[in-house]
Amino acid sequence: MRRRPLWKSILIYAVVLFWCFIVLFPFYWLGTTSFKKPLDATRLPKYIPYYDFEPTTEHWEYLLEVRGDTLWRHFRNSLIAAGGSTAAAVLLGAMAGYGLSRFRYHWRGLNWRNDNIAFWIISQRFLPPALFIVPFLILYANLDLIDSHIGLIIAYTMFNIPFAVWIMRDFFDSIPVDLEDSARVDGATRWKAFVRIVLPLSAPGLASVAIFSFVFAWNEYLYALMLTNFDAITMPVFIAGQNTQRGVEWWYISALALTAIVPVVLIGLMLERFLTRGLVAGALKG
Amino acid sequence: MEASNPTTRTGPAAGKPPASEGTSEDRIMKRVFLSPAVIVLLLLSIFPLFWALGLSFTDMQRGGSTTERIAEAAGETGQGFLGLDFSLTMRNYERIFNDERLQAAARNTLYYVFIGVIVQYIIGFGLALVLNESFRGRNLVRVIFLMPMMTTPVVVAYTGRMMFDSYRSPLADLLRHAEDWIAGIPLIGGDVSLAAPWLTEGSWARGTIVLMDSWQWIPFVTLILLAGMQAIPDDVYEAARVDGASSFQILRKITFPLLLPISATVVLIRGLEIFKIIDVIVVTTGGGPGSATESLTMYIYKTALTFGNYGYAASISFVLLILVIVFATVFLTVTRRIAPRGMY
Repeated sequence: MRRRPLWKSILIYAVVLFWCFIVLFPFYWLGTTSFKKPLDATRLPKYIPYYDFEPTTEHWEYLLEVRGDTLWRHFRNSLIAAGGSTAAAVLLGAMAGYGLSRFRYHWRGLNWRNDNIAFWIISQRFLPPALFIVPFLILYANLDLIDSHIGLIIAYTMFNIPFAVWIMRDFFDSIPVDLEDSARVDGATRWKAFVRIVLPLSAPGLASVAIFSFVFAWNEYLYALMLTNFDAITMPVFIAGQNTQRGVEWWYISALALTAIVPVVLIGLMLERFLTRGLVAGALKG
Repeated sequence: MEASNPTTRTGPAAGKPPASEGTSEDRIMKRVFLSPAVIVLLLLSIFPLFWALGLSFTDMQRGGSTTERIAEAAGETGQGFLGLDFSLTMRNYERIFNDERLQAAARNTLYYVFIGVIVQYIIGFGLALVLNESFRGRNLVRVIFLMPMMTTPVVVAYTGRMMFDSYRSPLADLLRHAEDWIAGIPLIGGDVSLAAPWLTEGSWARGTIVLMDSWQWIPFVTLILLAGMQAIPDDVYEAARVDGASSFQILRKITFPLLLPISATVVLIRGLEIFKIIDVIVVTTGGGPGSATESLTMYIYKTALTFGNYGYAASISFVLLILVIVFATVFLTVTRRIAPRGMY
């Protein structure tokens, strides 16, 4: 490694610090606003607690105690929708990814082989969700799935499968077949070899698929807005709804917003290496 | 996507003989593994796609078709297509060409896509260059970079509203201080107004929405480009330096061209994602002022749910699909020409 000129080092640290500030400041603002008294949040900006404004916990108390049941209901809806669709997408994605990695398919009618099938599957990820608004509305109304958890789980699974298949196929390609082959020589069935040997080896891949699916479903807005109206409303729709129902109470919304993002941001930060790995696998191979 | 070309894939699966494909167990398991995902996609993606195409040629409304309503009012039934309770019509597609709101929404969407992609790629590339250098705390910075991507877009939008308020926001505060400071400079000082209608005036609001989306997704571009940069072997740089190339020449002649394939992928992914934009707009401007910031997805949503016109909503969703397909095709054709495969 050559030594770097000083001006270059300064430039690098300046850019990095500046961008970290850009990224972190909005989070800081959300955090402090949730402790501001209404007057401190609606007049000229106040920056530092105890220095230019006196923090209060009343909004958090209101959110967690008075409105706690409502909050928990929406939070739970989000957990169920995101958790359920993640489980389904990981299972179906791992199976299809394994199939595409280990077998040779040939759909004669279309003359499609593995790569065509994989491309078709990932291309579904990029279809605009707006295309499905009308069919989903009619279908869900007829099947009585509007405002149900299972309805959201089904929709999110559909959106998450393409990416899951894509990443898992790539991951299975990197696992040598010898292990399963020797297990199968010893009498294990294909399914047993998949569940007992291949899946445990591909835990990192499964983890990144799970995070991506979970975060996508947790943050999804359009379908949650369209397919729920009371019982199954998820956090993003609940938060967006504060816009009109109550006027804009920034202090309350900030607290609410933090309850929605803290879980996913924490999951993301704790499992950061799987996340980066999945991103890179998805894009480099894509 | 590059792997669309079936001959290019190289992986363990490519050269390897099929793993004992002959056994009857495998002939069954082969289908068992792939079918569930394919069936889900067929049922929930392909079938609705064709259904929407069919609907776009009908007069379906929420709670029944126009034909059905007229028939009910007249006390008759079964006047529509083949005795069904709706009529086939081309009116939805005729309406597309005269719908100014639709054209505005399409323009806005293209604005978000093109400006967004350009802003995110340029800044993302610059940041990746910086992160590719070694400095203290690099791992921490990478973690910080992931935070916006995890954040719910609805929350990003609310936070953005707090950041870009024309009076109460820290940004407005900063600009006011800058005004005072400029006014204090002798000779060039004077009354300068830096106040901007960030979210209240159409063209500004469109830019602000792009900024919010960029805040969230620049890190994504950066992390992927960074991975691409780290995949470039060091001896390539060393050889260039031995030949006396300057940093800028290395960037222009080596780093940038080598990164073109992955740049194409990341730009395509971002472009296709921005085509779907709705949540940030709903929370920040609600599509306003007027419909100056409305996106196609938002207009489709409103047509279907607020106005209840299913047939028309379906037909404009195909306008969106056509834009997406044109974007992807043109983009892929151009990038394939500039950056042929196999540059790595």
